Amino acid sequence: MTALIDARTLPAATVLEPDLAIIGGGPAGISLALALANTRLKIALLESGGMNFDPKIQKMYSGDEAGVRYTALDAGRLRFMGGSSNHWGGYCRPLDENDFVARDWVPHSGWPITRKALEPYFQKAQALCEAGPWIYDKGNEAQEGPLLPLGQGGLYTSWFQFSKTRDSVLPTYFGHRYEQDLKAARNVTPYVHANVTGIRLAANGQRVDHLDMATLTGSHFTVKPRMVVLAAGAMENARLLLASNDVMPAGVGNQNDLVGRFFADHPTPREVATLVVFGGSLAACYGSNVTLANGAIMRAAFSPAAGFLKAKNVAGSLTTVENPIELDDLGKAAVITTALALGVDASNAKAYLLGCGMELAPDPDRRLRLTGEKDALGLPRLKLDMRLADSDFALYRQTLAELGRQLLASKAGLLRLNYSHREQWLKAMDWGNHHLGTTRMSEDPRQGVVDADGLVHGVSNLYVAGSSVFPTYGSSNPTLNLIALTLRLGDHLKKVMA
Amino acid sequence: MKRRSFIAGVAAASAAVAAGLYRFTGLFVKHYPPTPYDDVLSRLVDREQAVKLGASVPGKLDPKSLAAQLRASLKSDGLAAAADADVAADRMTEVDGWLLPESVALLAALASRV
Repeated sequence: MTALIDARTLPAATVLEPDLAIIGGGPAGISLALALANTRLKIALLESGGMNFDPKIQKMYSGDEAGVRYTALDAGRLRFMGGSSNHWGGYCRPLDENDFVARDWVPHSGWPITRKALEPYFQKAQALCEAGPWIYDKGNEAQEGPLLPLGQGGLYTSWFQFSKTRDSVLPTYFGHRYEQDLKAARNVTPYVHANVTGIRLAANGQRVDHLDMATLTGSHFTVKPRMVVLAAGAMENARLLLASNDVMPAGVGNQNDLVGRFFADHPTPREVATLVVFGGSLAACYGSNVTLANGAIMRAAFSPAAGFLKAKNVAGSLTTVENPIELDDLGKAAVITTALALGVDASNAKAYLLGCGMELAPDPDRRLRLTGEKDALGLPRLKLDMRLADSDFALYRQTLAELGRQLLASKAGLLRLNYSHREQWLKAMDWGNHHLGTTRMSEDPRQGVVDADGLVHGVSNLYVAGSSVFPTYGSSNPTLNLIALTLRLGDHLKKVMA
Repeated sequence: MKRRSFIAGVAAASAAVAAGLYRFTGLFVKHYPPTPYDDVLSRLVDREQAVKLGASVPGKLDPKSLAAQLRASLKSDGLAAAADADVAADRMTEVDGWLLPESVALLAALASRV
């Protein structure tokens, strides 16, 4: 068993020479270390924080913002072992096949791989998330209560699964959950308080020579690995690449001015619609998480099918039932008049507010840049230009309208679209805090920072793991998917480093 | 007067008063003056709710053209069939955000404009 090493205790000028340095101890970094555990590779897992939250360390994430109001840069992610899994909601859902495909109505869309490339890794990713048996698409059959009939149309009932409840902890916090597993791996050494302050390339710019390391107590050391995987989250990945500009003036991997661009998240505006169910109460699986006998925790959502996306040129979304509400007089009049017209009994009708997670279209100008301000270790801070297009809202509204039409077609209910103006959407805006897209994947170096394996274009020994490589985002929560992608990278590294 | 006759008289008078209240006041059921569109409006089971809803249907809608449009869509199949056809053909109208079959929205608009 290896110990967890506090980098503040390393002697000055220490040089570590692992085969592989993993930068970042979040779900991607930990999953990769576990995937390569007990191989012949000597691995250093470099986490900048400690084992628990420390406000002084967290402050190193702070930065500036412009544009649409967004979560503060030091609030939407966490800088300690386990990374942002320390505050995730446990939502799991695999990306759809369609999420990987280039859509002719969405500029810059499409992955260089298909979902098939991830399928061998989903089960293992599901296990790491402790999300129970793989059910998802078969959720309709697994539920006990009656499901809302949607009728023929563009949306279908889709399913989230959830990272498992353990004692009072929901969901899996990767740092604490896998601390012992990391220590038990004879070839993995986790370092805490180990901050990378520079990715230093060889003079020809084609390979990483070493990593500059520092601690907040003022000591400096060096890591000189054969191979590096950057797994520090979509904001920090971009920051480290951009700030490491001694050999490549624009930053590592940024020869085509792509690093930091195409930042995305899932907007999660509240109370986007009001759903009236003519027959009364909905099954529990709509408004809350339901635990099945086999341990799976599930929740229903409404998702647009691939055919509807293409026919209407809309983006992905997952619409969920939130809390019940009372209707006003106009709402009651709408329900009574419509139900009577359809010949449906609505005397027990109930109303619910809906929420959602929306997919954004890739936008090169929604981006992270370095500022002149520096953190405690001298690294430039970030500034985010956050943008939302009117079309992002308009497209999702079309999806909601189709849901409303389907409810009427099946005589199951009625829908109210609660927002029609940009200001209304923005006022109700929350965010998934799913940081995506800043080192996007493409086989073409002019379109992406990394190739289909996650290798930074032009640098032979630097990979990127995590949702920063997602070139198109889908509407699924990223954790399960980024872990599957990271496990795939693990297999790739086993081959190339053998 | 015999007791039986007295009770019968009171009952008859009460029934007449109740019938009068029902027919000529809004105490039990709201009555609407006759309109040229009653053939269409008669499809509404609860006209009072439709009036409330119809007041929020946007636009300056002329009752005559509304009625003509509704007569064409309702035909002999009735409101339910017209609403089903609207939904199947994605002919939806938004009333203060509520997504309604076009025929239902137009009928409510007519009810509120006569």
